[in-house]
Amino acid sequence: MKEVIQGIPLNYYLFLSTVLFSIGVLGVLFRRNAIIILMSVELMLNSINLLLVAFSAFHGDAKAQVFVFFIMIVAAAEVAVGLALMVLIYRNIKTLDIDFLNKLKW
Amino acid sequence: MKSIVLLSLLGVTSMFAGVFNYRKLILPIILIGIAAAIGLFVDQWGMNKSFYQMAFFDNYAIAFSCLLLSVSFLIFTLALYHYRKEGDIVTDLYALFIFALTGGLLMTSFSNLVMLFLGIEILSIPLYVLAGSRRADLASNEAALKYFLMGAFATGFLLFGIALVYGASGTFDLAGIAAYVKAGKDIPDFFYVGIVLLIVALLFKVSAAPFHFWAPDVYQGSPVLVTTFMSTVVKIAAFAAFLRLFNYCFTPLASYYEIILTAAAVATLLIGNVTALYQQSVKRMLAYSGISHAGYLLIALVVMGASATSVVFFYSAAYAAASLVAFAVLTAVMENKEGRESFETFKGLAKNNPILALCMSVAMLSLAGIPPLAGFFGKYFLFATAIKDGYLWLVLVAIFNSLISLYYYLRVIINMYSSADDEVPAFTPNYALVLMLLLSLGANLALGFYPDLLMGLLG
Amino acid sequence: MKDIAWLLPALPLLGFIINGLGRKALPKMVAGVIGSAAVLGSFIIGLMLFMHVHETQHGEVLNYYRWLSVGSLVIDLGLYIDQLSAWMILIITGIGFLIHVYSMGYMSHDAGHNKFFAYLNLFVFFMLVLVMGSNYPMMFIGWEGVGLCSYLLIGFWNTNTNYNNAAKKAFVMNRIGDLGFLLGMFMIYYYFGSLDYQVVFAKVAGVEINSPIIVGIALLLFVGAMGKSAQLPLYTWLPDAMAGPTPVSALIHAATMVTAGIYMIVRSNIIYTFAPSAQTVVMVVGLATSIFAAIIGLKQNDIKKVLAYSTVSQLGLMFMALGVGAYSSAMFHVTTHAFFKALLFLGSGSVIHAMGNEQDIRKMGGLWKKLPITAWTFLLGTLAICGIPPLSGFFSKDEILLNAFTANPVIWGLAVVSSLITTIYMFRLLFVTFFGKFRGTYDQEHHLHESPASMTIPLVVLCILSVFGGLLNVPEIFGGNAWAHHWFGEMLFKPALGGIEHAVSHSMELVLMGVMLVLIAIAFVVLRNKYITKGAVPEADEEMTGFTKLVGNKFMVDEIYDFFIVKPIYLFSSALYYVCELKFIDLIVNAIGDGIVGLGRLFRRLQTGNIGFYIFTMVLSIVAILVFKYFVV
Repeated sequence: MKEVIQGIPLNYYLFLSTVLFSIGVLGVLFRRNAIIILMSVELMLNSINLLLVAFSAFHGDAKAQVFVFFIMIVAAAEVAVGLALMVLIYRNIKTLDIDFLNKLKW
Repeated sequence: MKSIVLLSLLGVTSMFAGVFNYRKLILPIILIGIAAAIGLFVDQWGMNKSFYQMAFFDNYAIAFSCLLLSVSFLIFTLALYHYRKEGDIVTDLYALFIFALTGGLLMTSFSNLVMLFLGIEILSIPLYVLAGSRRADLASNEAALKYFLMGAFATGFLLFGIALVYGASGTFDLAGIAAYVKAGKDIPDFFYVGIVLLIVALLFKVSAAPFHFWAPDVYQGSPVLVTTFMSTVVKIAAFAAFLRLFNYCFTPLASYYEIILTAAAVATLLIGNVTALYQQSVKRMLAYSGISHAGYLLIALVVMGASATSVVFFYSAAYAAASLVAFAVLTAVMENKEGRESFETFKGLAKNNPILALCMSVAMLSLAGIPPLAGFFGKYFLFATAIKDGYLWLVLVAIFNSLISLYYYLRVIINMYSSADDEVPAFTPNYALVLMLLLSLGANLALGFYPDLLMGLLG
Repeated sequence: MKDIAWLLPALPLLGFIINGLGRKALPKMVAGVIGSAAVLGSFIIGLMLFMHVHETQHGEVLNYYRWLSVGSLVIDLGLYIDQLSAWMILIITGIGFLIHVYSMGYMSHDAGHNKFFAYLNLFVFFMLVLVMGSNYPMMFIGWEGVGLCSYLLIGFWNTNTNYNNAAKKAFVMNRIGDLGFLLGMFMIYYYFGSLDYQVVFAKVAGVEINSPIIVGIALLLFVGAMGKSAQLPLYTWLPDAMAGPTPVSALIHAATMVTAGIYMIVRSNIIYTFAPSAQTVVMVVGLATSIFAAIIGLKQNDIKKVLAYSTVSQLGLMFMALGVGAYSSAMFHVTTHAFFKALLFLGSGSVIHAMGNEQDIRKMGGLWKKLPITAWTFLLGTLAICGIPPLSGFFSKDEILLNAFTANPVIWGLAVVSSLITTIYMFRLLFVTFFGKFRGTYDQEHHLHESPASMTIPLVVLCILSVFGGLLNVPEIFGGNAWAHHWFGEMLFKPALGGIEHAVSHSMELVLMGVMLVLIAIAFVVLRNKYITKGAVPEADEEMTGFTKLVGNKFMVDEIYDFFIVKPIYLFSSALYYVCELKFIDLIVNAIGDGIVGLGRLFRRLQTGNIGFYIFTMVLSIVAILVFKYFVV
C-alpha cells in the first residue's frame, strides 16, 4: 500500500488537498444554508486528512494517521453540537439561511 | 497532569449532579476542586515534568494554568450569585465551563501540535453550547451559531497549518519542529504557508483584526457569564498558546512573520478602540475593549523573547482582574434593570450603590491604564519592553489608542455618577458577589502596588 | 520607635476620616473631642519620640514602604526622627492641641463646626508628614497638603466672595513658591541622583562651595520657602489669609505652616552652608521683609491684620537669622514665636468673639475690665514679642540680634530698627484695644463678656509658655547652658573650620541688650503718653495723608501686583482665549475628536452582523497575506 501511495509524487497530493480545501472554503463562502456550510467545513477537514495520510506515508511515520483519527472524532463532536444548534435555530426562526442571522450587529 | 485529570473528573461530577440530586452542593465542590487543582499545579512548580511528550509542565505552563484556574474560580463565585435562582440546566453549564477550562489548561501546557489542536477544540466545543445556553433567546442562538460556524471554519485553517508544518518537518513535537527550524535546511515553501495559516487560526482565537468579526456579536449575544468566561479565560488561554507555540518553535523565522503580527496588532488596536467609541451597549463595548487589549498583547508577541512572557502574563492577569470586576458589576446591574445593558442603564448607580460604582470605576480606570492600578503597570511594562527592543513607533500607536480608550471607559463612570428618572435601584449584593468583587479588586490593587509579585515569576 | 512613630500622623488622619465622614451625624461635642483627642494622642507619642531622641542623641530613619522604584529614582514612605523633627512635632501637636480645644469654644455656634475639625485634623496630618518625611517628596506631599488645608480653611466661610478670593490668592501665591521647590527638587535629583535626605546631604558635603549647582538649588528651595513663609515679594497672601476663622490664623498662619519654609532651610542647612551667596540672599530678603512688613503694621487698624504683618515681620527676622547661619537661633525663635503669636491670635479671637465679630481696633477700647483674662494674657504676649526680659521673646530675639551683630553690625542695626517698630505697633495695638474709653456701639458694650473656659484655658497655657519659654535656651551670660542651641547643634552640619561661635565679648553682649531695652523703654513711654494719657485714636482711613496714607494702604503692593502682573496676565490670557483657543485650537481639537468618532461610526458599519460577510473578509485577509508574502515581498 505504501508503495502505491509513494508511487505518486508528494506535490500531487498537496495540490489535490489544496484544491479540495479551496472547494470547501468556496462552499462556505457562497452557500447560505448552515447545513451546507457545515458540510463544506467537513470537506475542508477531509482534505486535510488526505494530506496528513499522504505526508505520513512519505515520512514513514504513523503519528499523522493517528492524528487523522483525532480529527475525525473532533469533527464528529463538532457536527453533533452544530446540528443541535441548528435544530434550536430552526425551531425559533423556521429557516437555516444565515442571512437571517443578523440581529447582532454594529 | 493530575490537576487536568482532577478537572475532568470535576466536570463529570458536575454532569451527574442533576441525576443524583446534589445540585445545591455542586458549586462548593467545584470551587474546592479548582482550588485543589491550583494547589496541585503550585506543587509542581519548577519540576518541568513532561507527560509522554504530549504536555510539558514548565513554569510557563503552570503560571498560566494557575491564572486560568484563579480566574475561573472567580467566575464560579460570580455564578454563585448569578445563577442563585436558576434550576436544572445550570449544573450542565458548569460541567461545560469546566471542560472548556480543561481545554484551556491543555492550551497552556501542550508540547505537541496534536495537543494544541485538542486543547483548542476541547475549549471551543463546550463554548459553542454555552453561547447558546439561553435556549429561548434568539440573540443567544444567533451568537452560538455564528461562533460555531466561524470557529469550525477557523479550525480548518489551523489543521491545514498543522498538516503543512508536519509535512515539512515530519513531526508534531514542538522540540522537533524547533530543531527543524533551527537547522533551517531546505525548508519548503509550504512550511511558511503553514506558519501563516497557524497565525491566522490563532489570531482568530484571540479575536485580533481582521479576524475579530465574530467577537462583538458573540460576546453580546451570549449569556453574561459566558461572555465573562470568553473574554478572560478563553482569551488568556489563546494568547498563552500563541506565545508558547511561536516562542518555542518559530523565533528564528521571526523576520518572516513579524510584519503580519505587527499589522494585525495595529489594526486590532485601531478597530477595537475606535469602534468601541460608538457603542450603546456596555457589554458590546467591553467586547471591543477586549479586542483592543488583544492588540496590546499582540505587541508583546511581536517583541517576543523571554521578557515578553512575563509581560504577557502580567498584562493578562491585570486585564482579567479588571474585566472580572466590570462583568460582575454589569451582571448585577443587568439583573436589576430587566437585562438591559446600555450605558444609560448605569445611571444612578453611584447614588444607590456607591460601593459597586466605586468597584466599576476602579475596573474602568485600570482597563484604561491609570496609575497606580494594575492595568497601568501592565501597559507600562509592555511599552518599556517594546521600546527597549526598538519598537518605539508601535508604542506611540498604542499610546494614541490608550488615549482614545479613555473616552469610552470614562463614559461608563460618567453615566454611573449622573442621575436619571430611571435609575438603578438600591439592592444588596449577596455574599458571593461581594467576595468575588473583593478578591478581584484586591488582586488589581495588589498588582498595582506590588507589580513584582508576578513580574519576577517567569524570569 | 518604629512601631509607634507611624501613629503620629495616623491619628490626626483617623480623626479627619471620622469627622469627615460623620460630619452630618456626629454631635458637635463629639466631633470636637475626637479632633482634639487625636492631636493630643499624637502629642503624647511625640513626647515619647522626643525622649527617645534625647537619649540616643541621633536621628533615625524609619522606612515603612517602598513607594516608588523607577530606574534610579527610589522613593520610600519613610519617617525621619531627629532633633529637628521631634522638636517640630511637639510644637505642631502641642499648640495644635491647645488650638483644637480653643476651637471647641470659638466655633461652637458655627454650622460648619464638624467640617472645621475635620480640616484642622487634616492640616495637622499634613504638617506632620511635612516635618517627619525622610525625603524631599514626602516633604513636598506635606507641603502641598498644608497648602490645601490652608486654602480650605481661609475660605471656610465660603459664602463670602472676598474670603474665597483671599483663599484663591493664598493658593496661587503658594503655587509660585511650590514651583521653585519642585524645580529645586528636580535639580537635586538631577545632580545628586536621589531625593533622600541622607543620600543627598552626604553628596552635598563633597561639592565645591558656592558652585552654581548648589547655589541654584538653595535659591530654588528658598523660592519655595518665600511662598510658604510669606516673604517678599510673595507675602501679600498672608494678611489676606486672616479671612479664615481666628484659630486657623493662630495655628496655620502664625505658629506652624508658615514656619515650614524655615524648617525646610534648617533641614537642608548643609546645602545653604555650602552656598554662602544664597545665604546672603536669604538674609537680605528676610531683613527687608522684616522691616517692610513692620512698617505696614504701624498703620493697620484691623486687629488681625496687625498681627498678620507682625507675623510676616517676625518670619523675616527668622530668615535673616538663617541667612547669617544661626539655624538654631531661628528654630528657637520659631518656637517662642509659635507660643506668643498663637497666644496673641487666640487673644484677638477672644476679643473678636466678645465684640460680636468686630475687628476694627478704632471701635474697641477699654476692654481691660470686661475681658480680664484675655487682657492679661494679651499684655504678656505683647511683652514677650517686644522682647522684654525675662519673657521668652527676649531670649530668642536677643540671640538672633547677637548673631546678626557677629555677622555684620549693619545687619544688627537694621534688625534693631525692625524690632523697635514691632514694639511700637504692638503697644499701639495693646493700648488702643484694651485701654481708654469704649468706642463701640451700645449693643456691643452690653454684649461684652469674657470667653468660655475652653477658650481661656488655652490662653493661659500659652501665656505660661510665652513667659517661661525662654528657659529652654538661657544663654551662658545669664548662667544658662543654651540647651536648645546644643539640642539643634547635634543635627546641624558642622563645617570643618568651626561653626559660628560667639565672637562677641560678654560685656559687648550686655551693651547690645541695653541699647535694645532703652529703645523699647522710650517707645513705651511715648506711646503710653499718646494713646493712654492723651487718649488718641488712630485716624479714619479718609484722614490719612502723605506717607501715612501710603503705609495705611500697605504701600499699594497689592495694587502694583494687580496692575503689573495680574491685569496683563488676564489680558494676555483673554487674548489667547479669543484668538488662539476659539479660532484655532478648538477647531483642530474638535476636528480630531469628530474625525475619530466619525471613524468609529464607519468601522461600526463594517460589523454587518452577516456571517457571510465575516467569512468573506477572513478569506480575503488570508489571501491578501499570502499574496503579499509571495508576490510583493
